[in-house]
Amino acid sequence: MERETLELGPMRIRNRQAIRLFAWLDDRLGIKEIVDDEVFEKIAPAYLGLWSCFGGISFFLFISQVVTGALLLVYYQPTIAEAHASVAAIMNEVPFGWLIRGLHAWGSNLMLIAIMIHMAKIYYAGIYKTPRELNWVAGVSLFLFTLGLSFTGYLLPWTQLAYWATVVGTETPAATPLVGEYIRYLMRGGEEIGQVTLTRFFAIHVMILPIITGLTVGLHLLQIRRQGISGPL
Amino acid sequence: MAQMTEYTKKKECEVKALPLEEKKRMVREGKAHWFFPHHVAEQVIICGVVLMLLITISTLFPAHLGPKADPFDTPEHIKPEWYFLAAYYVLRLAEYTDFLGAWAPKIMGIVLQGVAVAILILVPFLDRGGPERRPAKRPLAMTLGAIGAALFIVFTILGHYI
Repeated sequence: MERETLELGPMRIRNRQAIRLFAWLDDRLGIKEIVDDEVFEKIAPAYLGLWSCFGGISFFLFISQVVTGALLLVYYQPTIAEAHASVAAIMNEVPFGWLIRGLHAWGSNLMLIAIMIHMAKIYYAGIYKTPRELNWVAGVSLFLFTLGLSFTGYLLPWTQLAYWATVVGTETPAATPLVGEYIRYLMRGGEEIGQVTLTRFFAIHVMILPIITGLTVGLHLLQIRRQGISGPL
Repeated sequence: MAQMTEYTKKKECEVKALPLEEKKRMVREGKAHWFFPHHVAEQVIICGVVLMLLITISTLFPAHLGPKADPFDTPEHIKPEWYFLAAYYVLRLAEYTDFLGAWAPKIMGIVLQGVAVAILILVPFLDRGGPERRPAKRPLAMTLGAIGAALFIVFTILGHYI
């Protein structure tokens, strides 16, 4: 008697328990259709080269930032009295804390470089043209959000450099006609940079911007799915 | 390259709706790869390389933690991170607009940055070059893009040494 087989793309599954589990899930969630459409019967263009990788690399680095950021959150203290000491503890006492912080700090730099290369490629190959105009807008927004994440994250260790860079960084928009003073007040949470500033930079860095960025990444990828990957030059 | 158009004219949802036999033919003829395992394996390898690079850099050049902030001690040189150096240099450049009046330097600094970001966002709507995508056929877009990129790099370097 021939044994029952489950065909998934190139795979032939003969394990009876695996087949039963798959059937059980399929009855409840219809996963056969999903995995066929999205994984096993899906094709990708053959012409994608090295320069097409950088959007995906930016995405991977974003995920890496979320994971390492969540781990740093476990030990970080967002108060002006404790912040610096808690980061020092992450570097010196927490097992592999130095590595996690290193991945997070260097990851932000690599992420910005990857995004810039991605943007340059999209510009050079004219991929922003019809029908992908709105995806260019979403992409530039992601670049700006990433800069915002870098700016707010830089203050969190409460170092001398970060403090004074933030003094200058929040002073600059104060020159904006009409609303400048309000922007500075909004960024600092007062006239001076202090605990309120650190708290709001913390909130923006770990909650507000990551959520907005994550949703925009979703929109960015959804548009690629709707429009398809652009053709070769 | 012409043989590729068969794939590229289709949106993803249309490619998805192709009969399996058709997809198999495209893979056979080298116009497409299977998402699994081919494409997935590529992505995993790329992510692995990036992760190894990241771990190597983080190990060889550990993240720095400077002295704790002191609001009463202004450092002599306040430099932003490299990605803000170009914007920082624009602020310095804007100081030369003081011939317009005492108000000019600060406002010009922020306005110039705002204009640069606005242009970047509006690129697809400012480019009136039609659907042509080949760089050689878009001399104006290529020239302006090269100037923009060169300005960013030069300003970053000048911002570093200022």
